[in-house]
Amino acid sequence: MNLADLIPPFDIRSVLIDPWTTDFPEKGWILLMGFLTSVACGWVGQHLLLRRMALMGDAISHSILPGLATAFLVASFLFGQRTDSSHAARDSSVMLVGAIGAGWITTLLIGMLHRRSRIKQDAAIGIVFATLFAIGVVLITLFADHVDLDADCVLYGEIGFVPFQPTLTAFGIPLGPVPVTRMAVVTLLTVLATLLFYKELVISSFDAGLATSLGIHAPTVHLLLMGWLSVVVVSAFESVGAILVIAMLIVPGATASLVAARLPTLFTLIVVHSAISTVVGLHLALWLDCSIAGAMVVAGCCLFTIAWAAHVLLRARDQRHLSADIPPSSASEESTSTALT
Amino acid sequence: MNRNSVAAGVSPPGIPGAWSVSRSISNRGLPMRAVARVETGSLTPTLSRRERESRATLRNTPKPQPSELWRPVPANAQLDPPKPAAHVLLLPPGEGRDEGRPLDSSHPGSWSASRTSTLFTFLLLFILAALIAPAANAAKIGELTDNSIRDQALRFLTLRDPAVRYALAGSMLLGISCGLLGAFLVVRRLALVGDALSHAVLPGVAAGFLWSQTKDPLAIFIGAVIAGLLGTIVVEGIKQTTRLKEDAALGLVLAGFYAVGICLVTMIQRLPTGAKSGIDKFLFGQAAAIGPRDLQLMAVVAVLAISTVLVFYKELLVASFDAAFARSIGYPVRIIHYALMLLLAFSVVSALQAVGVVLVSAMLITPAAAAYLLTDRMHRMLLYAAVIGLVSGAMGCFLSFLGSNLPTGPLMVLSGSALFTAAFLFAPRHGLVTRWWNQRSNAGRVRRENTLKTVYRILEDRQFHGEGVSLRELAQRRRETIEDASRQARDLVRHGFATFHAADPCVLLTPVGRQRAIELVRNHRLWELYLTHAAHIPADHVHEDAERIEHVLGEDVVRELERRLNYADTDPHGRPIPTPNAVLAAGPVEATRRPPAGYGR
Amino acid sequence: MTAPPPTPPTATPETPPPLEIHDLTVAYHRRPVLWGVDLAVPAGKLVGIIGPNGAGKSTLIKACMGVTPIAGGWVRIFGAPLSRAHRRVGYVPQRESVDWDFPVSVMDVVLMGRYGKIGLFRRPSRADRDIARACLDKVGMLPYANRQIANLSGGQQQRVFLARALAQESDLYFMDEPFAGVDAATEAAIVTLLHELRDRGCTILVVHHDLPTARNYFDMLLLLNLRRVAFGPTDEVFTYELLQKTYGGRLTILSEVADAVRQHGGSIP
Repeated sequence: MNLADLIPPFDIRSVLIDPWTTDFPEKGWILLMGFLTSVACGWVGQHLLLRRMALMGDAISHSILPGLATAFLVASFLFGQRTDSSHAARDSSVMLVGAIGAGWITTLLIGMLHRRSRIKQDAAIGIVFATLFAIGVVLITLFADHVDLDADCVLYGEIGFVPFQPTLTAFGIPLGPVPVTRMAVVTLLTVLATLLFYKELVISSFDAGLATSLGIHAPTVHLLLMGWLSVVVVSAFESVGAILVIAMLIVPGATASLVAARLPTLFTLIVVHSAISTVVGLHLALWLDCSIAGAMVVAGCCLFTIAWAAHVLLRARDQRHLSADIPPSSASEESTSTALT
Repeated sequence: MNRNSVAAGVSPPGIPGAWSVSRSISNRGLPMRAVARVETGSLTPTLSRRERESRATLRNTPKPQPSELWRPVPANAQLDPPKPAAHVLLLPPGEGRDEGRPLDSSHPGSWSASRTSTLFTFLLLFILAALIAPAANAAKIGELTDNSIRDQALRFLTLRDPAVRYALAGSMLLGISCGLLGAFLVVRRLALVGDALSHAVLPGVAAGFLWSQTKDPLAIFIGAVIAGLLGTIVVEGIKQTTRLKEDAALGLVLAGFYAVGICLVTMIQRLPTGAKSGIDKFLFGQAAAIGPRDLQLMAVVAVLAISTVLVFYKELLVASFDAAFARSIGYPVRIIHYALMLLLAFSVVSALQAVGVVLVSAMLITPAAAAYLLTDRMHRMLLYAAVIGLVSGAMGCFLSFLGSNLPTGPLMVLSGSALFTAAFLFAPRHGLVTRWWNQRSNAGRVRRENTLKTVYRILEDRQFHGEGVSLRELAQRRRETIEDASRQARDLVRHGFATFHAADPCVLLTPVGRQRAIELVRNHRLWELYLTHAAHIPADHVHEDAERIEHVLGEDVVRELERRLNYADTDPHGRPIPTPNAVLAAGPVEATRRPPAGYGR
Repeated sequence: MTAPPPTPPTATPETPPPLEIHDLTVAYHRRPVLWGVDLAVPAGKLVGIIGPNGAGKSTLIKACMGVTPIAGGWVRIFGAPLSRAHRRVGYVPQRESVDWDFPVSVMDVVLMGRYGKIGLFRRPSRADRDIARACLDKVGMLPYANRQIANLSGGQQQRVFLARALAQESDLYFMDEPFAGVDAATEAAIVTLLHELRDRGCTILVVHHDLPTARNYFDMLLLLNLRRVAFGPTDEVFTYELLQKTYGGRLTILSEVADAVRQHGGSIP
């Protein structure tokens, strides 16, 4: 084994050109899927960040697993073994039901642990999602015949298989592979819901008390948001897995909030971030021959690192300016400037 | 390499794949000399006996007499908490009653270091004994075809198989070190730092693997620890230099590092040697893959964790409880924080092999959270967390051995969660069921005492002519059905407050019941009087309040009330306030059955 | 980040004051919260620190205790830098600064006051326990020694913190809002205790925000609003002009300047 084997030579043709030309019919779907997933997750994740609940995304993305496993199990007992792959619609609805159920159960369980005992919220999240995830893994292993899920797929997903999924046709027009179509619908709804309920969401994130006084029931908004989070996560699940989806939820919003301060700008920047990280990630994965979803997240994290470094550097520069601006005082000039660097 | 290739190999038919390694190791003739010393069967009894002994010693140590601690504080010290009656009395039911036992079972200075450390030492010795065992020569391993659950359980419990011993000892060790350190995470509200840390080690695992070119535990260990520490440093950095909050910082590190790790792992699996490396086992964990070197590492980590907690207990305690104060007395809080993170990284990494990256955080949080529900003292919480971690490790290992092809990590986590659920429901003071039960019995007591009071009021209305109160009178007075009245009468009888005449259905108070009834009525009327006199509340507003307060007044408070009210004898509504002495004069109290509540307690 | 402070002058021949602050500057993020504060507190005084919200009262104490990093200037305690004077200083942080659900008993908390004197690798001895018990008795909390700290009222929690400070057996105490959220009885008790300590020769600095009582409680007052406005005996300092200067117009100007400094070139918030 040689380390040189690990990093393949950089072939401009196969890494940079082919995906946009000869391979485009295949890679295009991957890019679209990555982009849609990232935008939907990023927008929902921004709401989580506003509510300081980024780790609820962590919890729900893990606890989706037992929800899916149970839903598939029940479905296979109710409707019999799946024979062909024409039941895309049924599969999707089963997935959605399982996911929303799991998401709400997680939210309620965490709330119960947190309110009914001295366990703090962070510990409650940790306990609940780990337990549910463990149940999910055990279910998948025990009933591997009935549950069409693979533990590895759960951990890092396989966005590379997206183009080979059966194509969904509506009214005779081929729309695209099932996961991509599903994700597109979910993304569209996410964007629409955010635009339509913008002020309700923002008010209940910012000040639950004010929201209640204005007649917006904050707990309901919370539950709905968590339900929608489950839907987004489950649609992204197949392609990016349970843990990378957390990155898709948090990284775009966090990067954007280092660069901008106003919410509309943030949401726009999330879209830009998604586009860049998807494209860069795909090329990175083609070069290094590694997990595509992983590479997309790594690209997103690189963007975050760049934004972070810029933020820190700019701040340091500001402070140098600041030291010169302090009004003269009884304090000596020198000590004040040391003070603020 | 040999072992690794076996690990990924196909298991023979009829043998659970998860344990194929264990069998191959045993075939290769790995040692077992001192099997007899590590009977699992003896584990729990030994532990619990130790614990009992240490508790007994605790109890026997001389402690200040309660009287000394309760001594009235001299009047000149103005600082003594003036116990204003109203202040105490207005506490909701239940809280006031707690005042009676500030000195419960334990010693005032509760960190009895020597005992707890003795306990730890024995725990440690026991596990070390389990470790020494494999160093011996191989005997004949039993037939490899036994795969009924009973046989499997027997195989496990007799520890015939060295691999079983490795797996069990490893699981227990990791349970101890994770539980112990996780306790600090839980009390510092850093539970999710454990989560981020455990995901962040993945790139380190992959890097260690690449560096050593094999699955060398030490290289992986070092790589993972570096990655984990880097993760915690990045979290701190993000928090300090940006506006992002802790949750976002944790999520970023968790997912970002994990993504890098996934990329590396998928790249390694593409390599010719990587495919059978078993590096994917690090995602969900497989205790059966624990080898002697892993075990040594785990033992070192556990010893390190235990000794650090023992030696630096007070530093860790004060830095966790009140960091500002710790800094003010000159403790290097930042160093303590990062030392704790380093230890955490150690224990997370040592647990990876058995629990896996994804779930190892649960081994940190769940046992500690269960312990948090069980006790109110840090040192006990540490002990319980270690024991719960140990038990869930052993249980998970056992279950994974029984079932076919189940990864160990999820089962350990589920065992821990089961223990946590038990603690959540049945913990002595904080348990959900326990609290519900206490409330229920409290409600029952209040209902009973109200019945008692009604009986007294009926008797009082007839100037105490005749002893019996018929069920019909009771039902009328309480505006209830006869059935309800008779149910309550039976309840009184069951608690020794009354006797029941079935022929002419009526209730007769026993002396105990009579005394309690008088106490209640007196409490009620005294309180009404106090509210109207001292607080100037109109007489028609005080009844409801008195209805609640009468059940919780303690003797000293009643004395204080009497004193303040100049031993008044009629309430605001003009009814007499009975005195208990009158009853005592009326007849001796039968001491057979004390009432369950009241100020005589 | 912190440059070495300018070398303090060599100690004067007479005994150094308990607390000497020279040109102390502290900044949170980019906003200065204390600018060039000078202070020399004589021994055996009970000093109140008064000022509007955000004036840097708590920051002053935290900077003296080494809890908050100092950006400029220096602090000497009994003529020595803080790192050598930890044992002579006691600290009562704000009550909200800790998690009262933490699994420790009242006794454990008070014993923490002894930790500074115990040293590494050692545990509280019986003597330490006795001291802690005596301190608890002094604040009237001995009956509660084995309670978990969550089961205490606000005033009782404050008494526990006070007992912990007493257990430190220091000569100089810093107390951050010890009267916040306590009942009148506890407040009176704390004041008596503070006077008792002062009469024994201890020096005490107390952050306080209630003007009417400040006049009666303290020997000396420090009026603070980002800078030192005035420091002296209560009778001299507690004047309308000085208070007006502390709470009135100067507040707005100073905070405006501070905000301007913060926002300078701040395209990034």
